[in-house]
Amino acid sequence: MANVALCSDPLSFSVYDTPSDGGGSVTISWQAPVESKSIPIGSFVIFRKMNEEVSWSYLASVKAENGLLEDRTAVDGVNYTYKIVSYASDGASEWVCPYQVASKAQWFDSDRLPVLVGVLVCLLALAGVALLHKKGKPFDIRPIRGLEAVDEAVGRATEMGKPVLFTPGWGGDIQRPTTIAALNILGHVASKTASYRCDLIFPTHDPVIMAAAEEVIHEAYIEAGEADRYKAENVFYTTSSQLGYAAAVDGVITRYKPAAIFLLGTFEGEALILAETGNSIGAMQVAGTDSTIQLSFFMVACDYTLIGEELFAASGYLTGDAKILSSVRAQDFMKILIVVVLLAGAILVTFGMVDFAGWIGKS
Amino acid sequence: MLSKKIPIAVCFLFGLFGLVQYFSPHPAAVSAYSTVLDWVQIIFAFTLLVGVVSLLQIQLKHVSRKEKYWGYSIVTIVGILVMAVFGFAGGTERGTAFMWVFDNMQVPMQSTVFAMLAFFVATAAYRGFRLRNVEAGILLAAAIIIMLGRIPIGEMISARIPETAEWILNVPSMSAKRAVLIGIGLGSITTALRVILGIERSYLGRN
Amino acid sequence: MDLSRIDRRYIYLVIAIAIAVPLLLKVQLPVSVGPEVQKVYDEIDSLQSRDCVMISFDFEASSVAEIKPVAEAVIRHAFEKNLRIVGLALFSEGTAIGYNIISSLAEEYGKKYGEDYIYLGFRPQYVSAILGMGENIDQVYPLDYLNDDWKDFPPFSDVENYHDISLVVSIADGSLPTYWVEYAGSRYGQKIAAGITAVMATSYYPYTASGQLVGIIGGLKGAAEYENLLGYTGGGHRGMLAQSSGHLAIIALVILANVAALRKKR
Repeated sequence: MANVALCSDPLSFSVYDTPSDGGGSVTISWQAPVESKSIPIGSFVIFRKMNEEVSWSYLASVKAENGLLEDRTAVDGVNYTYKIVSYASDGASEWVCPYQVASKAQWFDSDRLPVLVGVLVCLLALAGVALLHKKGKPFDIRPIRGLEAVDEAVGRATEMGKPVLFTPGWGGDIQRPTTIAALNILGHVASKTASYRCDLIFPTHDPVIMAAAEEVIHEAYIEAGEADRYKAENVFYTTSSQLGYAAAVDGVITRYKPAAIFLLGTFEGEALILAETGNSIGAMQVAGTDSTIQLSFFMVACDYTLIGEELFAASGYLTGDAKILSSVRAQDFMKILIVVVLLAGAILVTFGMVDFAGWIGKS
Repeated sequence: MLSKKIPIAVCFLFGLFGLVQYFSPHPAAVSAYSTVLDWVQIIFAFTLLVGVVSLLQIQLKHVSRKEKYWGYSIVTIVGILVMAVFGFAGGTERGTAFMWVFDNMQVPMQSTVFAMLAFFVATAAYRGFRLRNVEAGILLAAAIIIMLGRIPIGEMISARIPETAEWILNVPSMSAKRAVLIGIGLGSITTALRVILGIERSYLGRN
Repeated sequence: MDLSRIDRRYIYLVIAIAIAVPLLLKVQLPVSVGPEVQKVYDEIDSLQSRDCVMISFDFEASSVAEIKPVAEAVIRHAFEKNLRIVGLALFSEGTAIGYNIISSLAEEYGKKYGEDYIYLGFRPQYVSAILGMGENIDQVYPLDYLNDDWKDFPPFSDVENYHDISLVVSIADGSLPTYWVEYAGSRYGQKIAAGITAVMATSYYPYTASGQLVGIIGGLKGAAEYENLLGYTGGGHRGMLAQSSGHLAIIALVILANVAALRKKR
């Protein structure tokens, strides 16, 4: 806990170790009294002294009405005394805090408590649903047409003797869950292209994604018993530049004319450029992204679109893994919880009880 | 077996560290986190090198085998080498050969690709906005109001148009977007937790 | 001729004419200021002289034509208010462009490098860079774009992290403002505004409504609105006629497609 010393002065004046920080900071707070002849209000000057030092050192000049100053020059563990001096034409008044305060680094940022609560609720929901599933309560996942179309798309490409193109968009990197979700679907698409003996082209803008995709596709080909058909040169880095990437992928689409195109991942301005080029060559297109604005473009230009969370559910849907499916179900429970919190928040704010909304909002 | 477990263990440890340090302002946590961020930048710099080398290798292979469209590979190789030489030899400041190529070739070429969006928006709108039913009609009307509301001519027709456009963006459009965003947020959280807990492994190429 | 399934090249031709011809004309359309742009203007206007703003050039060469007027308007406002500017880029291509914009405007306003503005240059891995600057900007950018130790410039020697930055303005053509919100905003409480291309503008409305973004300047229209507030005519105004005729051409095409489809049905 932060140390707090309240000073009893005509000027409400308190000094305390700044809470939820990494140390090295003491907060000085005051409330300027109503202006009167006895307490002149002008610019305040704040002074500080260390331990038993006799002389005061200047800290800052502040406006009286500011009310708060963070002394970020404090050294952890050193006791400081603070005073405020108000200078006016007829003299100066000063208020000295009678307590000494030392700053200290905190281990926990209490402002982030709502986030911690949210994380714990997520973990509880995941564990709860997994437990329910273990007890034998089965659950289904609704059909996702975009994912059901994977077989059809790869089959079509095989029949036409043309390749399949998969690209994860320019907006994401390997740290982004959307990219992980896209790579999960890539594994499934790769095992289909391997067993159908169809070429799979994977251009990307990120060398780390390229390395991960190589691994995913190669493993899928090995598992399908088609390791010798894996073509490392079909998984390639283009450029980190957005439109350079779009131009490169567009070039591949117009030259090699893939019969099926998977645009799954985080897309930005390049989304429509790629989708329309794919549309113009008559490819069957399956798209999915977490970028809300690009969803509308994909819906117009592609045959199937995975909307936001469907992309994240794909891994469970395609593998049928019970643990992953449990997490998808947990997502539904959390969604219900969010709706309840939203409704409760709206009602509380409507009736003027804003503390709760403020508590959530501050983190 | 170890080749499966080590990446999952590393992922778990760093994932857990990332989660825990978020809640701590303590200098020890901050300094450890800064170190991890430095590592990320260093790793990325090396992977970029891997990416460029891989790109060059593939393009060189295309040329040496005289594969279909190998001419494009020559353009790519020359582009990479010329820019690298210009950059290393003359620097990247104003007035250098690198900046001349950047300003006079790269900027116009990329702007051209970006400008294609206008054409693609038009063809997508031409196909997509069809008055098939009531819902499609509402969508069509909203699109026209938004397009008019974002240009001065909309306001010249009626002051109500930009107001309505603003309302459409701020109320119905935003509520729909927020609903999708909540779903995406939850999906991201559960995917991240699955990765940290080692439940999700297919991105490693090993099921 | 079935107009409901017209060859796409005719559509391209209509759009090309609708955009290119107005660019040759010198007609200026009146622009009124919307609430999103007003919020950004008010925020910058409320800052005290010598406060520090960070302007991040998070765009690529492709969007220069659209995004440059936005960047210019914000920088002009900051220089007029005598604010200190810390410029940087999170996309490599934006680095030189950002430096050129900021330094040429500095010349115009008589501002000096190291006194009124500094330019930190580019750092890869934007998430790491944004997070790192929350702890210590010096650690992410030990040297500036000109390879000087920027901490040696006295007006900027006290700039340690977001604590010392009054506002971050991300001039972007993609999702970078989202990362600023997610990592600098929610983690370090940094105030953020965005100047973005029109195609991305609607993505950011939820962020302004929730207060996570101070406001947005969307594309040429946003730039024109900001120019209005500053009282000058720049690239934003010049592009308004072309943008207007482009929108009108698309509306006309959509109507044509529907009429053709209706006639075909009958």
